[in-house]
Amino acid sequence: MPGQSPFRLDEGYSEDTRSQSGASDVAFRGDSNMDDVMDQDTDSILPEWLMVMTEEQRSEFAYIVLRSLRTSSIAAIVDRLNPLLHIDPVLRLPPEIMFDVLRYLDPPTLLRVSTLSKTWRSRATDSRLWRKLFGSEGWVPDIRRIRTYEAAEKARSRGSKERKMRLRPSVTDIDRHISKKRAGERRLFGEGGSSQEAEDSNHGWAEQSDQVEADDSPMSGAEDRMQDIAFDTPASPPTGDEPMSASTPLPTFDQLQPPVKPTLLTAEPGEDAKVNWQYLYKQKRRLEENWNTGKFKNFQLPHPAHPDEAHGECVYTIQYSATHLVSGSRDHTIRIWDLDTQRLTHVLRGHDASVLCLQFDERPEHDLVASGGSDCHVLLWRFSTGQLIHKLEKAHTESVLNLRFDDRFLITCSKDKTIKVWNRRQLLPGDQDYPAPVSTSARFPSYIVNAEDVINSQTLHSIKPLKPFSLLMTLHGHTAAVNAIQVLDGQIVSASGDRTVKVWDVKTGHCLKTITGHLKGIACVQYDGRRIVSGSSDDSVRIFDRVTGAEVALLRGHSNLVRTVQARFGDFPGNEEELEAEAREIDRQYFQAQLDGSVPATLTREERHARNNGSSNPRDIQAWGAKIPPGGGGSRWARIVSGSYDETVIIWRKNHEGRWLPLHRLNQWEAVLAAGGRPRTFPAHGQQGNQQAGTNGAQAGNAQNHAGAQGQPAHPANPALAHALVQQAQMQIAQAHNTIAHAHQVVNQQGANAHANPGSNVPAAGSSTSSMAAVASSSSSTAQQTGAGTASPNPGAVHVHHHHHHHHHAAAVQAGTNSRVFKLQFDARRIICCSQDPTIVGWDFANGDEDIMSASRFFGEEM
Amino acid sequence: MSAPPANITLTSSDGVDISVERQVAERSILIKNLLDDLPEEANTESIPIPNVNEVVLKKVLEWCEHHKKDPPASADDDADSRKKSTDIDEWDQKFMQVDQEMLFEIILAANYLDIKALLDVGCKTVANMIKGKTPDEIRKTFNIQNDFTPEEEEQIRRENEWAEE
Repeated sequence: MPGQSPFRLDEGYSEDTRSQSGASDVAFRGDSNMDDVMDQDTDSILPEWLMVMTEEQRSEFAYIVLRSLRTSSIAAIVDRLNPLLHIDPVLRLPPEIMFDVLRYLDPPTLLRVSTLSKTWRSRATDSRLWRKLFGSEGWVPDIRRIRTYEAAEKARSRGSKERKMRLRPSVTDIDRHISKKRAGERRLFGEGGSSQEAEDSNHGWAEQSDQVEADDSPMSGAEDRMQDIAFDTPASPPTGDEPMSASTPLPTFDQLQPPVKPTLLTAEPGEDAKVNWQYLYKQKRRLEENWNTGKFKNFQLPHPAHPDEAHGECVYTIQYSATHLVSGSRDHTIRIWDLDTQRLTHVLRGHDASVLCLQFDERPEHDLVASGGSDCHVLLWRFSTGQLIHKLEKAHTESVLNLRFDDRFLITCSKDKTIKVWNRRQLLPGDQDYPAPVSTSARFPSYIVNAEDVINSQTLHSIKPLKPFSLLMTLHGHTAAVNAIQVLDGQIVSASGDRTVKVWDVKTGHCLKTITGHLKGIACVQYDGRRIVSGSSDDSVRIFDRVTGAEVALLRGHSNLVRTVQARFGDFPGNEEELEAEAREIDRQYFQAQLDGSVPATLTREERHARNNGSSNPRDIQAWGAKIPPGGGGSRWARIVSGSYDETVIIWRKNHEGRWLPLHRLNQWEAVLAAGGRPRTFPAHGQQGNQQAGTNGAQAGNAQNHAGAQGQPAHPANPALAHALVQQAQMQIAQAHNTIAHAHQVVNQQGANAHANPGSNVPAAGSSTSSMAAVASSSSSTAQQTGAGTASPNPGAVHVHHHHHHHHHAAAVQAGTNSRVFKLQFDARRIICCSQDPTIVGWDFANGDEDIMSASRFFGEEM
Repeated sequence: MSAPPANITLTSSDGVDISVERQVAERSILIKNLLDDLPEEANTESIPIPNVNEVVLKKVLEWCEHHKKDPPASADDDADSRKKSTDIDEWDQKFMQVDQEMLFEIILAANYLDIKALLDVGCKTVANMIKGKTPDEIRKTFNIQNDFTPEEEEQIRRENEWAEE
């Protein structure tokens, strides 16, 4: 047989396959199952004359014998043969092939499969399967954090094993780690209750918790108890996590392996614990469910117990990472906050006027905060120290409205209608990033030379390198203020009060595309490489195809200028072709429908005006030829969040038809109330209101002091506050006539902000008026500004107003809770926004759930 | 493809020699690599396939014959698994209408012989036998012995409720 062959097969391969299968004795039998059965069991009882027959002859003979039997006998035989015809694949196929089978199943089917038998369950709960499923939803994990965490867990478990000299089943060990980890995380921000509790009852708890987590202290038992004490206080909300704590015996069903409930860590026997993707997938789904159903907890910056850390005035801009938030305010300062503790860590002073825009990157290789303001300066700071490292004095001739940086460039845009590009690293002609000064839409400083000329004439040695943050070019083309910019992969996308979005090449300064569609000025823009999402003072959000400029969706829902927008389409890696194919297919259906006559060739004026919010129905199609389908494509988890001067934040989701619809409408002022009014330091809402009022009252007092001391009633800080107070007072008077509960709440909130009586209701209008009088001296100069109509508290949006400021002015008076949303950001778990209110608020959709919080730190920040 | 189709001989695990066009046999990466490594004159000898019996090997070669002109499989594994489409073309579907014994033998042979496209078709076929069925129906399909206690089964079923749409 094979052994005699002159050829040698790849033995390693062959042997591997056999040994991996773990079922090779079954799987690689030379003959069919039937023959085996016959060989072993029936050989002896069968007459020889039968056995010499061929397989076909025996089959025919058996059939004849069977046909001679009663039906019930045949049925009984079929039953007995059944195990031979129906074979359990997990017993027959090696795990890696079963893995390939299970790869084709969706999560519900996979979970159904996990109930079949213990072996099926162990195959279906394979973490690697769920890793693929996680990615196939378009979700992006933070792999770096996962690896870091796993490495830390590994070090920890090694350390603890060495010290303890006591063997415990590995599962229990893991569970203990998890319960500790979870306990430690209960002080995460958003879980304000416990963190407050912890701080109050035990100063320096954070440091101790680190020790506990290190799990190497001989005191660890005692520390565990301390944790329990810290968290089992009556004020802390029930979390449902208690059964997981080490002291509680595990329920008996957890003897199943893996445990019934997926845990954060999972370990194959003899291997290091790894993050369990089934756990991550499950928690991500539960988190998404909270987004869908609008379940969240509010939190705020500053921490309600530290109101003195708040900005003094409205906050125009924020950005946050997993651990920090940086905010820029009309009070001229930038503040860096620790998101875990909700505490202020740095105040950056250096701007001479409002801070309008900023971006930061805390990674050590960047360690940078860039900010721009009404003072026309661009300032660069060390993130870690708060130290000012560079100042681009009068970077623009008017307010710097937005800035973005990437690894190579800093881009700034201004009310002066220009965009400027600056280098982050030293540059020489011939360098990859050195400008190519050929475009007519860009102007280049005289020191920017044509690299080719220089190299050809061999005069490079006489050229001095450009220092970091030199002006490389100024982009001209917009006819009004440039309100927002994005930069990605060498392309700048700018949005302007001139109602257009432009796309520019960052190296040549060429304007590659001008996109129209908005009916009024554009206030904000986001670009992810394929779609441009913009918000405008026409109250709409629109989605454009970057390649063709086609408008693929119009989102209506706000009743005032859309000032801030973020979109996350949840693309799969490398799905451009699919998007394009989908777009082409919808185009084809549209043209087919036109041929059929089922849709008219031309649209009525109303239909054109209605536009399309993402539907793929041929009747709704208005633009074709785009590279992305109506609505912009992306996964079913795609989400857009927009913030508006109508003082609301809207969460948009696509419905089953692909139409973008408002899913939830969040009120900034309600969030402040919920975040600050939680009964932790203050048992009742009223008292919390008092606290708030005290804060803002103190600010009002400060403002007055400023005015008095400096003798400058027109100090920029004062008019704004006075203006705000006047507005509040006006509103309260106006709303005093309303008796609806809603108004009551609004007044209540305003009362708090305006230093009125806490818990004020309709009669509070009077006291608010008096508080207005208290700052009358400084507000007298404001009156003119208010009258002028364009004295929006937001200089950044002034030009957006140009076309229609009457509209906004009216709207502001209508709404009047003074919480126009200026900037928001969302990640997998939360939305944080800043507004006219100095308090920064957030919505945490983990909603206090320990498992979701534990998993969501591993959810990435995909666009 | 200027050279005339050269035939090679494979020997099954039960000692049967099967003559097959080289191009067909080379759908198996295992065989292709082997042939590539061999000197030209050695191609007249038979190649032992010790893990696959005659019946299964013939079935596998039938598939290879039908698919001999297919372009080489793309390495786009991610995109493939993402779409998770279990669509199988008509000929393959018919080809896979065999008893479970044969189905699993084909899958194992495809795995051993490194014929990725056939392995995929086999895995999709099994996946399709699972899809859209209740646990009891799946158990019946594959004669699966349920080794959970009723309590355990109930616990797992309840835990799995989060995934229901």
